[in-house]
Amino acid sequence: MAKQAKLKGTNRARSEFIWGWLFILPTMLGLFALNIIPIFQTIYQSFFKAGAFGRGNVFVGLDNYKRMFADESVWQALFNTFKYAVVEVPFSIAIALVLAVLLNRHMRGRSLYRTIYFLPMVAAPAAVAMVWRWLYNSEFGLLNHLLNTLGFDSVNWISNPNTTFVWIAVVGIWSVIGYNMVLFLAGLQEIPQDYYEAAMIDGASAVKQFFNITVPLISPMMFFVSVTRIIAAMQVFDVIYMMMDRNNPAFFKTQSLVYLFYRYSFVESDRGYGSAIVMLLLLVIMIITVIQIRMQKKWVNYN
Amino acid sequence: MKLKKIMAFVLTMIMVLSLAACSGDNGSEGSSTDSGTSNDSNDSSSSDSSSSDASASSNVELTIAIWDTNQEPGLTQIVNDFTEKTGVKAKIQVTPWDQYWTMLEAGATGGSLPDVFWMHSNEIARYSEYEMLLDLTDRIESSDVLDMSKFPQEIVEIYNWEGTKQYAIPKDIDTIALWYNKTMFDEVGLDYPDESWTWDTFRDTAEKLTKDDGSQYGFGLRPSNNQAGWYNAVYDMGGYIISDDKKSSGYDQPGTIEAIEFFASMSKDGLMPPYEVLAENEEHALFEAGKVAMITAGSWMLAELCNNEYVIENGDIAVLPKDADSNRRASIYNGLGWVAAENTDHPEEAWALIEYFGSEEAQQKQSDLGIVISAYEGTVENWTAAYPDFNLQAYLDMMDDLVIRPYSKTTVRWENMANDKMILAWTGDKTAEEVCLEIADEMNALLAEE
Amino acid sequence: MENRKYINSILLHLVLIMGSIVMLVPFLWMVLTAFKTISESTQMNPFVMFPSEWRFDAFESVMTKMSFGRLYWNTLVLMLGRVFFAVITATLAGYAFGRLEFRGRNLMFSLVIFQMMVPVQIFIIPQYLIVSGLGMLNTSFALIFPGLVSAFGTFLLRQSYMSLPKELEEAARLDGCNIGQTFLYVMAPLTRSAMVALGIFTALFAFKDLMWPLVVNTEQSTIPLSAALAKIQGQFAANYPELMAASLLAVIPMIIIYLFFQKQFIQGIATSGGKL
Repeated sequence: MAKQAKLKGTNRARSEFIWGWLFILPTMLGLFALNIIPIFQTIYQSFFKAGAFGRGNVFVGLDNYKRMFADESVWQALFNTFKYAVVEVPFSIAIALVLAVLLNRHMRGRSLYRTIYFLPMVAAPAAVAMVWRWLYNSEFGLLNHLLNTLGFDSVNWISNPNTTFVWIAVVGIWSVIGYNMVLFLAGLQEIPQDYYEAAMIDGASAVKQFFNITVPLISPMMFFVSVTRIIAAMQVFDVIYMMMDRNNPAFFKTQSLVYLFYRYSFVESDRGYGSAIVMLLLLVIMIITVIQIRMQKKWVNYN
Repeated sequence: MKLKKIMAFVLTMIMVLSLAACSGDNGSEGSSTDSGTSNDSNDSSSSDSSSSDASASSNVELTIAIWDTNQEPGLTQIVNDFTEKTGVKAKIQVTPWDQYWTMLEAGATGGSLPDVFWMHSNEIARYSEYEMLLDLTDRIESSDVLDMSKFPQEIVEIYNWEGTKQYAIPKDIDTIALWYNKTMFDEVGLDYPDESWTWDTFRDTAEKLTKDDGSQYGFGLRPSNNQAGWYNAVYDMGGYIISDDKKSSGYDQPGTIEAIEFFASMSKDGLMPPYEVLAENEEHALFEAGKVAMITAGSWMLAELCNNEYVIENGDIAVLPKDADSNRRASIYNGLGWVAAENTDHPEEAWALIEYFGSEEAQQKQSDLGIVISAYEGTVENWTAAYPDFNLQAYLDMMDDLVIRPYSKTTVRWENMANDKMILAWTGDKTAEEVCLEIADEMNALLAEE
Repeated sequence: MENRKYINSILLHLVLIMGSIVMLVPFLWMVLTAFKTISESTQMNPFVMFPSEWRFDAFESVMTKMSFGRLYWNTLVLMLGRVFFAVITATLAGYAFGRLEFRGRNLMFSLVIFQMMVPVQIFIIPQYLIVSGLGMLNTSFALIFPGLVSAFGTFLLRQSYMSLPKELEEAARLDGCNIGQTFLYVMAPLTRSAMVALGIFTALFAFKDLMWPLVVNTEQSTIPLSAALAKIQGQFAANYPELMAASLLAVIPMIIIYLFFQKQFIQGIATSGGKL
């Protein structure tokens, strides 16, 4: 009897082993070829200086890294990226959460609102950025038109070095609110109504209910969203690429790290330097993610 | 619910209609496997006739890469003439300037460049050094169609590598002229610009045309607009950008500094729109919107400006102002070249195409169609007829004093550096002299590395 | 009490409507500008909101200069290609990681997780070199390439499989199915909603992908929508009606698809983030 069971167990184990590896093979092969090995290749590449037209890779050791540490534009870009993330992430999460709470009840036009708020998410960033660039245009843009009619001066939305990043982050927030909102709605639906009913009986106001029930119970979702959104914000490229160019006085103080990467790797064909920049980005993201995971215990409620 | 369904339906209809319209326009879409942009709706008849004339021997289709979408229709006509003669087909692909060189580089890395493409003085050195281009020297010598002496020698030289290899055939030349808004001049009762104008007259007029309320400025020029902008004044005022032996920078020359100071002060004194506005909008956009009374523009901007409603009604062209002291009225000029890829699969056909482009016949047609000023001597008489409402003659008049666009082996590096620094002169953060001296230092360092 | 509720409700709607306007204004402006002439679009008079005449000039011009049919097609290929590969590979792997036990499973899966945490730019240059080395630049293959496998998809499907009752496999085994059959006939069909979610998620992000197509398919004939839009900014710099017309043509298809499949979209996004 035991022998039979053991045989069965070994066969089963064998079978699972074969099928298991078979099934994960396509994905793992792809992962290795497309992702794992490239990581090492990028690290490798960062020690070289590429020639034009893909020829003549010259080993330069740590030169790229030395250059990067001394390069003001790299650190400025990193700082710019932080600035962007600091505006985009908290606001997009806060606004989306409030929206989700507002739309979580049965009300007229609920699905219409949800559709509208999600719409920006569906539009290609390239198109979105173009329209916003046009809206923000200091001379011909709609926003300044409206300001002027109301008697205010025009604002240099995207050409003021000090504040441009805010308005670009606004575009980011605008695009991503719908996405965050949908995630929060899903999370909210997991919260049992009983809590709210009990609170209402106790006479708690809506605001109190929000902070004492909703926020703690949706904190796992908030954690997930904030981690993923921060990682995404640190990689911002599309909006900046589409809305800014070298002529823009705000360029130096707004260009993101990934934008620099793109410029060095593909426009100036300096792939080695681009790779070094990406390494920096990876390091920063890892650090931030680890910090976030550590801090999880302080504010996230898992039940 | 119903509203959404209706909305969705309407949007679908729009999309379906647009797709139908697209497939209607793209007559050539189905036929060629590597279809690019297809402006051939007008030319479909001629390409049909050429393919029926085509000798059965040639199934070659060359790829041509250019960056100016305005030139495509005209060049396509010339290509069709070529196809009629030789049976070799060719397709033009347009990639905007910003991505053109990246596109080529990507193609080169992957081992595939277009068969025939435009070359520019900024990049010729790199392509020559890495031997990416077909060496045309021998073919040119043995050609009975081409006469290299008919092209401006300075342009031919740009594409000649180390005195031994000729990599390109000149295509065209471009000059710079002054555009002005007649209506604005009339409003204030000023005379239109003419050959008597000096840079001082120009400045005074700009002042008179600048309105206090900021709705109109006399002039507009971006710091990055060197070829069509401040380069010209630099030479008028006795300065230069790069020495003839290409070993030293001319930015520290008094004449150069004077020119930069001239424009920077116009910006600081409010005769130009604020820098932010200039940064966000190109000069021609400001001109077309009636925001500035004058701009300088290269002859390559004709298709854009001459076809714009507002400009047709209000604009015209004059020669650039001259310097009061030196009496010089220089125009920077540049010329593109046609090159073939070294590793093209069809070197003979590619050569035939380039040879044709450089022939008197094609060059004449290029001018006649108003595409650009052809490089071939004596082919420009009809060019001015392309846009009769405008004084195109001004561009031809500027040909009396031509200065080749400054270049060296690493043009792009020092040009970008200079343009970035130039911004500070415009905004007033640094004086023109400071900026120029800084540029001179860095440029000299870069030139020394060459 | 009734009045209070009523007022609250009105306030609520007011806030939501204002928010909606902010969400919609860019789209509306896109539409309005696309129908104007260049001069109208740069008019400084703010009351010139509507074009004097609804012209289709900008659309015509843009459609001739850029063959939109081709662009739609390229984008479609990009999206469907990635969806196909992602769903297939992720479903297989998700099942294996979620339901099977075999040596090396956890190690392999941690690699999957790792990939999800890493910024995608790390992969771009090597992937680019692979594609160009294969001589496959400017092809549909190049577009699909990064999406051939999906770490995120694997993760998602694994979650989904893990949530299915354990008894299913036992039942299937008793019926004489081997693992492959169990997977195909029993397990996979039950994860349909996750697969749809993955499909939608992948399609949406493929549509929006900018850097990769920009870098890898530089020719006009093989470029998809977002990269094409990025390029025309250089071409039609100040021609706002044309820029807006092109943007409009670029976003409309996705909007239509979204409107028709709203429920699936929302469901899909929610699932992708929800079940953690």
